[in-house]
Amino acid sequence: MKHAIETVGLTKRYGSLTAVNKLDLKVEHGTVHGFLGPNGAGKTTTIKILMGLLRPDEGTIKILDREIRGDTPEARLKVGYMPELPRFPKHLKGWELLDIYGKMYGMTTQQRGEQIPKLLEMVGLKGREKDLIGKYSKGMQQRLGIAQALLNEPELVILDEPSLGLDPVGMVEVRELVREIAKEGRTVFLSSHLLFEVEQVCTHITIIHKGVALASDTIQNIYSKLSGSSTLHVELATPSDIIVEALKKLSFVSDVTPDGNMLTIELKTNDDVRPQISQEITKLGGVIVSMNLKGQTLEDVFMQLITKTGGEK
Amino acid sequence: MREKTGGDWKTRFLAVVKYELLWNIRKKKFIGVITLAFTLATLSLVLPVALSNMSGGELEANPEYVISTGAGIGGLGMFLFAVVMVMNSISGEFESGTIVPLLTKPVSRTTVFLGKLLAAFITLLSAYASLFIYMTVGGWIIYGPQNDLYLLPLSLLGTIISTLVWMAIVLAIGTISKSSLLAALGTFGIFMALTISSPIISFFTNQAWIMHYLPGSGAYGLIQIQTEIQGVPVIKSISALTGTDSIAANLVNYARYPSANVTFYSLSSNPLEPITEPLSFILLRSLAVASAYIIGFLFAAWYFFKRTQVLE
Repeated sequence: MKHAIETVGLTKRYGSLTAVNKLDLKVEHGTVHGFLGPNGAGKTTTIKILMGLLRPDEGTIKILDREIRGDTPEARLKVGYMPELPRFPKHLKGWELLDIYGKMYGMTTQQRGEQIPKLLEMVGLKGREKDLIGKYSKGMQQRLGIAQALLNEPELVILDEPSLGLDPVGMVEVRELVREIAKEGRTVFLSSHLLFEVEQVCTHITIIHKGVALASDTIQNIYSKLSGSSTLHVELATPSDIIVEALKKLSFVSDVTPDGNMLTIELKTNDDVRPQISQEITKLGGVIVSMNLKGQTLEDVFMQLITKTGGEK
Repeated sequence: MREKTGGDWKTRFLAVVKYELLWNIRKKKFIGVITLAFTLATLSLVLPVALSNMSGGELEANPEYVISTGAGIGGLGMFLFAVVMVMNSISGEFESGTIVPLLTKPVSRTTVFLGKLLAAFITLLSAYASLFIYMTVGGWIIYGPQNDLYLLPLSLLGTIISTLVWMAIVLAIGTISKSSLLAALGTFGIFMALTISSPIISFFTNQAWIMHYLPGSGAYGLIQIQTEIQGVPVIKSISALTGTDSIAANLVNYARYPSANVTFYSLSSNPLEPITEPLSFILLRSLAVASAYIIGFLFAAWYFFKRTQVLE
């Protein structure tokens, strides 16, 4: 199985508004794939189509190699989904909810008995499982949302804005959790508008804007393809014009600006060329005190793409 | 990763039933209407005793009390139970957003719909059965031994069928509008319109037959039974209604007097012209009308639920 999620020409319209426009999305198995875009980009609409909550106007969808047409409950057996700002029935207790959902997944009494306490512990709801969900805070409901998404030990976990509504500690915990899930070999499809979150946990990203996929690849490839330049700050023990001139002659250097002991080297590439620079300086008798490579951040790439398409964030 | 079995359809269906049952029995509205029903039942049992004590008289034995009263749930009672049971079964899930995690589990929408329906039926059956038992025990204590108690399950069945008509209407309006308020108010509007328009139609248009085919009490008539009191032959009149709300009473009357006829009077003609129909025909017609409404509205609710998109 190569792709955990595969859509071809996925389109969804609300009247005259095209929320998702011919989206070709490929999420490789075993990756943590970030789905990035500003508010209203079409992320949640896409996820809702994947989960069968919305009907696409055009296009095909495959989840874990199963084609999705209409209400396909079997396709959801191996998928865990946490909606954006999840809401659960207030009349149920946390434990009851997970137990009922577990039965819907066809889990046996023993499986539920083992899995539910483990998940409650993991999301920090241990001790509150017998309280009615109506008494839970938004953050606690968010945690319960994560627990129910992992209940069936899914092969594919879809998280829609999992950090929304969480405090900073909770956000860090979510990121840790995503890393843990990924370690177990599961595919995580994570929608977020928080660039740093995606940058920290994802191996692959798809950037979507106004329903159109602007880029989709590994984070490294997207940096390389889109940014193509970076800046290296080098602090020398003593200033040297010879070193400046020699560095300017390197094929991947576009410019070098000296400022006392500090050299600001503009690079034509986003690749890590620090070994070559270091070698050149050392060869000419220079002594490096510090070296700091400043590549483009995901935010830079994101803004570049969004601006290119003429949209405001 | 765990080996997935997925369980069978029955397991998933029963999970939905449990999900809904827990909601039903914990709903404040349901607890309120049950409390009200038992309070009214208690009052209907106790008030005659209190009044007869106050007047210094003695309450006469009435062996017909339980079989003629049933659970003491009239048209309004059935309507209220129906509204409370299902007004937010589906629309409430959309309003609160809880439909999203529910519909993204490996259960089909048809399973969810049927599970919710069965849970509502079980809750209704339990509530009505409790009321029937309460009224039977109370009636026995106050009015002495009762006749034909073996017919009570039939009365219970009829009351449930009548309530299902209103439940189907509430569920359909709620599912189509995705609004619990519209489900309750819309059905209340229908209930009130029919309650008010029935006598008007009957009196002014001489078209009482229309009411046989509308949900509600229907047209008013009389069953005349030849019986004996202390060896003297007498004709006893029992009131009868032809609508879907009166299935319980008609079932019991049919079981007791299978060959009885029901006589209606055309109120607007002068002199009054009686129209007579066999009770068996009236019962079959009201059952057919009720079934048509139940099936029609439930199908509409199911169809819209199956097709609806979760936008919010």
